[in-house]
Amino acid sequence: MELLDDIRVAKEIVQALLKAKKTFRMYPDTNPMYAKTIEDTNAKFRNFFDYKDELTFKIKQNELFCDSEQIYYNSQKEDNIALFFFKDGLREITFKKGFSVKELEDFLKILTVDYDREVLDDDVVTLLWERDFQNVKYVVDEAFLTEDEDYESEAVREVKDKASDGDELSKAYEDSFNEEGVKDAVIVPLTDKDLHTIVKEIDKDAHDKTGKLVTIIFEMLYQAENKSEYEDVVHFLNSIIEFSITHGDLETALHILRKTREVIGGPAIADDARKNLNMVFSFLGFEATIKLLGELLDSGIEINEKIWDEYVAFLDKNAIQPFITILGELKSIPARKNVINALISLGKKDIQSLAKGLYDSRWYVVRNIIYILGKIGDKVAVDYLLKTVNHSDIRVRKEGIKALGELGTPGVFPALRECFNDPEVQIRTAAARALGNIHSATAKSIILQRMTNAVFVKTEFSEKKEFYEVLSRWKDNDVVEFLMKTFRKKVFFKRAFNDENRACAAYCLGLMGNKDALPLLHKAKESKNKLLREYVYSAIKRIEYGQ
Amino acid sequence: MANKESREEVFKKAKDIVNQLAVIIRTAAIHDPGNIAVTTAIEKFTAITNPLILSEGELVLELGGEFFYLNEARIRYPLEYLPSFDFLVREFKKRELGSIVFRNALKSEDMQSFLRAFIASASSLESFEALAEEIAHVSSLGVGRLRKIRDEEKTEGSSDVRKMIKKSYFNAVSYTRGVVSKIKSGEKVNIKKAKRVVESMVDLILEEEQLLLGMTAIKDYDEYTYHHSVNVSILAVALAQRLGLSKRALTELGLVALFHDIGKIEIPSEVLNKPTSFTDDEWHMVQKHPFWGVRAILKMRGIDATVARAAIVAFEHHMYHDLSGYPKTRESYELDFYSKIISLADQYDGMTSARVYSRIPMPPDRALSLMMERAGTQLDPILFKFFINMIGVFPVGTLVMLDSKEMGLVYQSDSAFLDRPKVMVVINSKGERTDRYFVDLTEKATDGKFQRTIVKTLDPNKYRINLAEYLL
Repeated sequence: MELLDDIRVAKEIVQALLKAKKTFRMYPDTNPMYAKTIEDTNAKFRNFFDYKDELTFKIKQNELFCDSEQIYYNSQKEDNIALFFFKDGLREITFKKGFSVKELEDFLKILTVDYDREVLDDDVVTLLWERDFQNVKYVVDEAFLTEDEDYESEAVREVKDKASDGDELSKAYEDSFNEEGVKDAVIVPLTDKDLHTIVKEIDKDAHDKTGKLVTIIFEMLYQAENKSEYEDVVHFLNSIIEFSITHGDLETALHILRKTREVIGGPAIADDARKNLNMVFSFLGFEATIKLLGELLDSGIEINEKIWDEYVAFLDKNAIQPFITILGELKSIPARKNVINALISLGKKDIQSLAKGLYDSRWYVVRNIIYILGKIGDKVAVDYLLKTVNHSDIRVRKEGIKALGELGTPGVFPALRECFNDPEVQIRTAAARALGNIHSATAKSIILQRMTNAVFVKTEFSEKKEFYEVLSRWKDNDVVEFLMKTFRKKVFFKRAFNDENRACAAYCLGLMGNKDALPLLHKAKESKNKLLREYVYSAIKRIEYGQ
Repeated sequence: MANKESREEVFKKAKDIVNQLAVIIRTAAIHDPGNIAVTTAIEKFTAITNPLILSEGELVLELGGEFFYLNEARIRYPLEYLPSFDFLVREFKKRELGSIVFRNALKSEDMQSFLRAFIASASSLESFEALAEEIAHVSSLGVGRLRKIRDEEKTEGSSDVRKMIKKSYFNAVSYTRGVVSKIKSGEKVNIKKAKRVVESMVDLILEEEQLLLGMTAIKDYDEYTYHHSVNVSILAVALAQRLGLSKRALTELGLVALFHDIGKIEIPSEVLNKPTSFTDDEWHMVQKHPFWGVRAILKMRGIDATVARAAIVAFEHHMYHDLSGYPKTRESYELDFYSKIISLADQYDGMTSARVYSRIPMPPDRALSLMMERAGTQLDPILFKFFINMIGVFPVGTLVMLDSKEMGLVYQSDSAFLDRPKVMVVINSKGERTDRYFVDLTEKATDGKFQRTIVKTLDPNKYRINLAEYLL
């Protein structure tokens, strides 16, 4: 290959690396683009290595050189591959002919790392070093590692200044003849058992060390002597909890919490320490901590239900508001489910704080909070829930009505009755179901009032059917009488409406399993109205055969 | 090169080549090389080597210092291979054998001829010559003599390496000083930089272990604390690399070791450098430094795996193997692996330095004797064996008198012959000061006896002999 061809191909390789740097950031390794990028870049390298054994880039701040020819220049900071290498001290990088596809992929991954992230302790050189490429060699300028230019020369001069003169050495020589001779050195050889023990220890050493650190922090607590030392201990425990959550390790966080509870309850520490240690539990409910917990829940890492429940049991009511905040941000259903369960457990400690979530601007959060309040079942929540019946979003209103039905205090009836006037059929039927849930005489009376109202006759069949279904929950004489009367009722006008009512009554009697109604139902078996015929037939079957 | 992946293959299989060669030689020492036990082992050996010879052209297995190289690449190996590697180093050195070249396709008969010659050469006065002559007719094998010490290697030839080592060493010390100053003033510590500093040391330990260990033998710096941290880091990494830890783990260990004594920054310097014994209050304060170390490390930055490790070691480095040290813990406790390594390095460097413990630095060999007594109580006995294997019975910096009546300083240990290091002679056999020259105590005279042996050791501190003059 001619020199000019070398340069051209080297330039193409740099461009391919730049392109790959972008592609790797955009696509996961499962994406076909990822594989194609490796393939394309590898083809460029192969093109070069078909003729040459090594490709070396000399690196300057904004330039790359190959065989003294500038092959890349970029004066901007952004996307500057020369600067990217240069800033960490790389001054030359050489790819050898054996540069494999696997090595290329790993190299591209190193190019793609987001080095600006605060948490990342590695720079490009460290990652190249750790990967230990067989076919990528590099030259690094380590000048920036020197904190103090003169340190070495000063230190060396200092020790040399202290150097002894020849007399001291000669004296040592003379004295040596009077010194005791060396005893035979005892050299104990390493045995296979020694090696085996060390290998086992190295294997064991691979385990996570966080638990060990926790033990040490508690030892620090036992020996702490003042407020500042207690505060440090609490701060460290909090940091470890944070670290554990970030790494999906709730077990270690739980270990800290169990230990904290045990120590607080025991005699091992002073009252001041105990007071400070309680702060660990408060920390769990901090917004930042709950946010991390949310990220963990959303990460897809499987969380053991028992561990989650135990962790939640350690939380205090200060966690409620942050949980409500993340409830609206979580992406996965299991994550939301976990948070809802946590709020059901926590909300019991402070309904008022939980109820603040009803004012959240996100309808789905409000709906979740209503659900949670309903599940908690504390009647104190009724006052808050009543307001949700007028929420602008129908989904919230429905959930609110349902929750009121679950709580069922006398205070809910006016609101539920009012719902019957709502223009939305879903709200009217939700109110009916809520009353059915309450299952009291008042509730029955409100439903019957609605069903005997002239307006009700003209409602849609499906709505009517819902009401009759709800009514079937009361299996008392009032209801049976009402149903029989409805079923027997004959009219000359608007017969279709009447037959719908009769069909619903038959349906309801069927649901109730009322055998007294059988003769009446049999009589209507041959009705000309198809709808009525079908519902009567079903009701008979249900009553007679329990189907 | 036959294909692009082959070089990686060579590196991957290098350790197996050495291991299998050791197996063959051991088996051939018991059975005739024609015995099926040997030929089966040879078959296994050639099954590994022949494809590589085909792709690489030839394989050169070379002993350089204490390490084997295959086609110039240093062979790394896991701990399980250590006995085989040590065995082979000893066998090579016994015969002054420096390299074996495998070329063409190796046949079983060629290897059998080699083995016969190899075994027989052990009893010859001129082992290498005997071996070379015996296998001269074997076309697929060649041998090279072990390179002897050449003065120019240690002066002109290796001056760049020495410069690099000094630079890395002082970079580390200066960085440590910077870190301490930053922690004291509440500034943020750059861990990226720390990693780079340690990586550079790890590289040197992998390639030039003895020279870097030599740097740790100089104890007369004014800023003991910083040098101590770096020395402990070097000694710990050197020990751990013999245990087969990965480069990444070595970096972590080196980093952790650098910060092991960070808690001492809270001890007033007048206490730390006090020429007399500590009062009870002062001793109480000194015993608190492991706690302060944990605190300093955890406050330096957020928690991660390395920080956790550093805090653990800062807490445990004085606890001792039998937990008889400090701090005492309320709950049952087990020392961390890194702590065991670092406490060995810490004790050794501490004892051989001024201003700690007894405040009188001990000669290295005496420190080792004392440590040997502590092995099993204060120190992990198995790790101590590795440690002594690493630094030798007479560590770098020991002032020694030879039976040749020459006096000198140990400047490089020999892992195959722990009591036969390389020595820099500074007074000749006539008792005259001389330009330094180097002798290898494993060298034998024509009668097969060692040319020189250490008969006495002296305390360089007693005579204010400054090792830096010789080792820097």
